[in-house]
Amino acid sequence: MASTEVPLGAQQDADSAVVATQAPRWRAYLPVVATAVALAAIPLIIGDSRYYTDLATLALVFAAYAVGFNIIFGNTNQLFLCLGAFAGVGAYGTGALGNELGVPMPLGVLISVCVVAGFGAAFSWVSVRRRLDVIFVGIVTLTFSLVFINLLLGQRDVTGGETGMVLLYDPGPVGERGLVSYYIFLTVLIVFLTVYRWVQRSHIGWAFRALRDDEVAAELSGIDVARYKMIAGAMGSAMVALVGALYGHYEGFFSPTTFELGQVDVPVLVMLAFGGIGSLLGPVVGATVFTIVDAVLRPLAQLRTAVYGVILLVLFLGFRHGVVPSINDLARWVARRRSPGS
Amino acid sequence: MAVVLDGVAYGLQLALLAVGLTMIYGLGGVLNLAHGQFAVVTAIAAALLMDSGLPTLPAVIVGVLTGAVLALILDASIMRPVYRLQGENRVLLSLLITLGVAFVIDGLLIYNYPFTALNLNVAGPAINLLGVPMRRGSLAASLLALVALGVLIVFLRYTRRGKAVRSIIEDEEGAQLCGINPSRIRTAVFALSGGLAGVAAVAEGMTSSLSATDGLNLTILALIVTVVGGLGSVAGALLAGLLLGIVYSLATFYIGAYVTFIILLVTAMATILVRPSGLMGRGA
Amino acid sequence: MLTVEDLNAGYDDSVVVHDVSLHVDDGEAVAVIGSNGAGKTTLLRTICGLLPARSGTVVYGDHALLGKPAHSVARLGVAFVPAERHLFPRMSVQENLELGAYPARPDQQQLERVFELFPRLKDRRRQQAGTMSGGEQQMLAVGRALMARPSLLVLDEPTTGLAPILAEEAYASLKVLRSEGTTVLVAEQQVPLALDLADRAYVIEDGRMQMDGQATDLVDHPDVRRAYLGIA
Repeated sequence: MASTEVPLGAQQDADSAVVATQAPRWRAYLPVVATAVALAAIPLIIGDSRYYTDLATLALVFAAYAVGFNIIFGNTNQLFLCLGAFAGVGAYGTGALGNELGVPMPLGVLISVCVVAGFGAAFSWVSVRRRLDVIFVGIVTLTFSLVFINLLLGQRDVTGGETGMVLLYDPGPVGERGLVSYYIFLTVLIVFLTVYRWVQRSHIGWAFRALRDDEVAAELSGIDVARYKMIAGAMGSAMVALVGALYGHYEGFFSPTTFELGQVDVPVLVMLAFGGIGSLLGPVVGATVFTIVDAVLRPLAQLRTAVYGVILLVLFLGFRHGVVPSINDLARWVARRRSPGS
Repeated sequence: MAVVLDGVAYGLQLALLAVGLTMIYGLGGVLNLAHGQFAVVTAIAAALLMDSGLPTLPAVIVGVLTGAVLALILDASIMRPVYRLQGENRVLLSLLITLGVAFVIDGLLIYNYPFTALNLNVAGPAINLLGVPMRRGSLAASLLALVALGVLIVFLRYTRRGKAVRSIIEDEEGAQLCGINPSRIRTAVFALSGGLAGVAAVAEGMTSSLSATDGLNLTILALIVTVVGGLGSVAGALLAGLLLGIVYSLATFYIGAYVTFIILLVTAMATILVRPSGLMGRGA
Repeated sequence: MLTVEDLNAGYDDSVVVHDVSLHVDDGEAVAVIGSNGAGKTTLLRTICGLLPARSGTVVYGDHALLGKPAHSVARLGVAFVPAERHLFPRMSVQENLELGAYPARPDQQQLERVFELFPRLKDRRRQQAGTMSGGEQQMLAVGRALMARPSLLVLDEPTTGLAPILAEEAYASLKVLRSEGTTVLVAEQQVPLALDLADRAYVIEDGRMQMDGQATDLVDHPDVRRAYLGIA
């Protein structure tokens, strides 16, 4: 697929994907590299504080979740509201396999991630076959999420029910709180971002943009919409599951509340909304801002929820595409003003 | 048999909760995720009034009106930009905006009234219905739900305003051509849905208790019943409510709490996948 | 009574109707004829408030219509019967008719008049509108519009989807209404029927008015005969 060809749908795209597709390779991956460097430097700024390091690690975790969700929702308009469940299967799956069957952690993670990828692909396939609208996909996945939570609560012997699961084996380096785990999650995030950028520049990304713009038109012009949605569904959910598994091992302990809708899906949605749905760095910006705001507001306890509500309202009544694309648009506008001939 | 009756009782409450949500979707193509919050606001308002000495009946009535007024304000203000969009965009934006509103109300209520709960205990021994002893609270709740639903159905089927509401769901352009103002009716029905959610809260208060934390759960419950019954169909909400209520009751009796929820959810999922338009929806 | 001046209207980015002017006097029957895609539907829908206009004026009696939503235009006495009819499929014939009079209480007298005009509707008054045939649905659409006792009846291609006999029946009913004093504005592709009913007619093509005049004159006009009546 010639990378210079820009299909009609992409021309109207609000995000930077088109620029990314046409730019030479080093320019396209520059944002990822820059982000990697910036985030790698953070611990140097933070210093020795365990609290802030943990906070920063949490931000990385959510940013990684958000990249996965970005692929699923931001690129192919599939509203999967079961991110928490996917992450939970990653964590609980690995944990259960390790606790009960002594399966070594890397293998356990691999198995759980594959299972979740299967679910993700299945949801995508079903939604295309049954021609489900966006809300229906949301409701079906939401239901799945609730089923999962109830399964966790019900199967007490394996999952520990309400009290949660404790990992009985050595979780490995990711369980070492502090710098080691920070850099592990940072590596994961950078890998995700690199993959995301690569996808944007590939024929897969081209197909995503086409079907996001007009699914029927894409289908009619020969794009196998089902196949690409399944790719997005599997890829994004696998990412979320991987992060979920690692996060579970980082904490060493997790319960159903760790992975419920309000703890995972909603924050990720708000982060992405703020950072820019469909944009490369949106997840990072969104996660950073959200984590800082959350930490600052912690003394407000329950009132935080109200604040997030207000943020959501302001975001969606105001900036329709999020803050990051607005900055991109601004940059493009400025560039155009400077060189009127181009 | 007792189990089935219990299921019907619960089902009526579910239907009452869902019917407002489904009407708003049918009329305006918007999904209101703050629906459960209207119920909770009613409950908290009524509980607070009762605590300060007001007798039960006026407190409850004021509570329900509070829910309705809140819904009215919401529709007339924040929802305006949503109505400017069409189709799928409108639904998505309505989801996000109402979610924001739900969070705001949820956060404010839980923060300010964490321990306030609505408890409407109906005292007295169990009453025999068809040879089955039923708790008074359960019976009272079912009666309330039945009356409310009955009034709604009479309104929709036999009054001019009610028919105007149905006509907008049937064909909005046709309704406009008859001189019917869709946006004014939409606002009125939005307020009505808030009131109905409030009545559902009262019913819930009779069988158990309702507090500020229940908001989002109620919304999810209403959403599932609505979707299974068919978005926009009042009859569907009724049918789905009863169906899911009976399934819930049977499952809880024969199996257990967690598995029951799973069965309920799987039933809902299966219905959506097999017939996305719902039990009474139009077209697949 | 209805005056349209220099109307420009269309959808999204395209302008379909260019600088169109027409008028309809009280008691007249006026036809707008043209081929498919000429702009007839756009013109009528803009007049009746279903589409926003780009520029121009539409005055009905004392009221400026442009900018008013469709339901306000309806309440001013302009009843529009669109080509797709937009009936309420799961409501009965009777309910459809009664809603036509909204917000007023349905007038029994007017209902009887409609049943007199369309006896088949009376037979099916309890039947669901969606289960009726094309011809019956057309009657119902017109009947519903009449329930509000409109001072101007606007119809967009009332013969859509109707067999020739039914189309003739439809225009026969319109003639009856005409004779009772109802003002009629009708857009039509089936030119002979329209010119038979109308006093005056406008010819529209490519979104512009090409010519207008007395219906009887237009029937004899060579261009009209060639383009619309299939006569060389």
